[in-house]
Amino acid sequence: MNGSSFARLLLIARNTFLEAVRQKFFNVLVVLSIAMIASANFFRQFDFGSSELKFIADFGMGAVLLFGSILSVVVTAQLFFSEIENRTALTMLAKPVHRWEFITGKFLGVFLVLMAFVSLMLFLLAAVLYWRESNLMTYPRYADDFANGRIVNYTGILQLVFSELFKFGLLAAVTLFIASFSNTNLYTVIISFFVMIICQLQYIARDSWSDLDNPILRGIVWMLSLLFPNLQMFNVGEQLVFPTEQVTLSMGGYIGLLGYGAIYIAVLLGLSAYTFRRREI
Amino acid sequence: MSEPAIRIKNLTKDFRIGVRGVKLRAVDNVSLEIGDNQIFGLLGPNGCGKSTTMKILLGLLEPTKGECSIYGINSHSVKSRLNVGFLPEAPYFYKFLSGRELVRFYARVCGVPKSEISDRTEDVLTLVSMQNAAHRRVGTYSKGMLQRIGIAQAVVHDPKLIVLDEPTAGVDPIGSHAIAELIIALKERGKTVMLCSHLLAQVEGLCDRVAIMSRGKLVLEGGVDELLEKEDQRSLIIRDFNPQAQAEIEAVLAKYGSKLDKVEAPRISLDRLFLENTDGAAIGSGQDVNDKEDA
Repeated sequence: MNGSSFARLLLIARNTFLEAVRQKFFNVLVVLSIAMIASANFFRQFDFGSSELKFIADFGMGAVLLFGSILSVVVTAQLFFSEIENRTALTMLAKPVHRWEFITGKFLGVFLVLMAFVSLMLFLLAAVLYWRESNLMTYPRYADDFANGRIVNYTGILQLVFSELFKFGLLAAVTLFIASFSNTNLYTVIISFFVMIICQLQYIARDSWSDLDNPILRGIVWMLSLLFPNLQMFNVGEQLVFPTEQVTLSMGGYIGLLGYGAIYIAVLLGLSAYTFRRREI
Repeated sequence: MSEPAIRIKNLTKDFRIGVRGVKLRAVDNVSLEIGDNQIFGLLGPNGCGKSTTMKILLGLLEPTKGECSIYGINSHSVKSRLNVGFLPEAPYFYKFLSGRELVRFYARVCGVPKSEISDRTEDVLTLVSMQNAAHRRVGTYSKGMLQRIGIAQAVVHDPKLIVLDEPTAGVDPIGSHAIAELIIALKERGKTVMLCSHLLAQVEGLCDRVAIMSRGKLVLEGGVDELLEKEDQRSLIIRDFNPQAQAEIEAVLAKYGSKLDKVEAPRISLDRLFLENTDGAAIGSGQDVNDKEDA
């Protein structure tokens, strides 16, 4: 009578999800994000024409990036340390539960929260874009812009849900890994944000690596570029939402991107489970 | 010969407390065996290593040396915890769940078959007298109710061994009494109970065996009766005592080489007096009042 690991993972994930959505922080962040995306409506006063759609999309995706990053780091750290500090982890791990199940269950719970957040935000963005695009299409002065039909690729927004989800999932996995060995919530949040910045700027190291002559330095920079995932790779919003012949993302490239995120998430979860295995609760 | 419920062998646990490799020895070469279907009390002052020993036993800490097993399975193995229920000191549970949801959650974590979860949940809620408050969120519970719902989650998967860390800490005498009765009920159901407590009077009345720890070492272990009994002394409780009879009794005792040491009126404990004069049935579960009734 031990049940399966999978059943326990889902239980822990479901509980983590419930705990997160009942926190004020999550609700406030969702309301702020909705307000920010909805406020894109005010850009119509500038009368940008079809460029307005791009502006709305950039603004909306910026809101998702900002609040999604905060959510990924803060909620992951909060949900992990609430278990440790409130000693609910003590009760849970005194049950027939493996530590890797606990860590993976926590991650899956956060992943569900992120999925709900990203889906809601991008659905809202798609609705705002559709509504505004339909309006603009009725104006004769923009008829040329819409000669070939709609500009916005709404299927691309659906694809963007998953690429954003994997990006934030990766960030949550980084945070969980740091939390697995650190002692405080604050330390975890600060270090995770630092790592996020390194991951965002990692492409600079990649560029300099290709210019280096010294093979040792090249090796070190190459190693570092592998150590930190390149989050810039996930900035595919424009390619997916406003694809052109020059700027587009093939299906192969898209699947490769999701695979890249999934591999890093799996490795980080493995490392988290390994460090958490010997942690004294 | 069947395996004991708990076997602890040469257990030592050091905690690193400084950067220069300074260590604190919390548990020092402790060996202990606890047989099946006993109530066992692990006693000692704060910081003597009781909770550390419990945590190692439950796989929450790694021992520095030695080993522990539960019904023959090493504590390292998650399987050893299939037969264990644990109530931590000052338990804190997911506040957003109701008492019933919490017990169901832990039943599922422990792999209780789906078809049995509802029956088991109601059974243990009845056992801990929490069925009337089970719909309320855990965040609204008093300390005594938290302890009782904690015991419910510890026994919902019908474990053979139940480990209780300070089960009556911060609970009023009525609640303590209810928990003590619960522990006795668990023993009657064939369970082994290991408990840590500072309420020595309660431990004395409850436990079959006790062990005392001091500075990480096990200093004393044995049956409660054999440890506390003064072997060469007996007390007689006399109803309708007549002081004039005392001289004759002393003479009879002297004839057999015995001596009357003290004559005193037996007293009931303050706990008992408190319980007899308070409503023990209303064990802190409160009452639901709706707004209309209030008005």
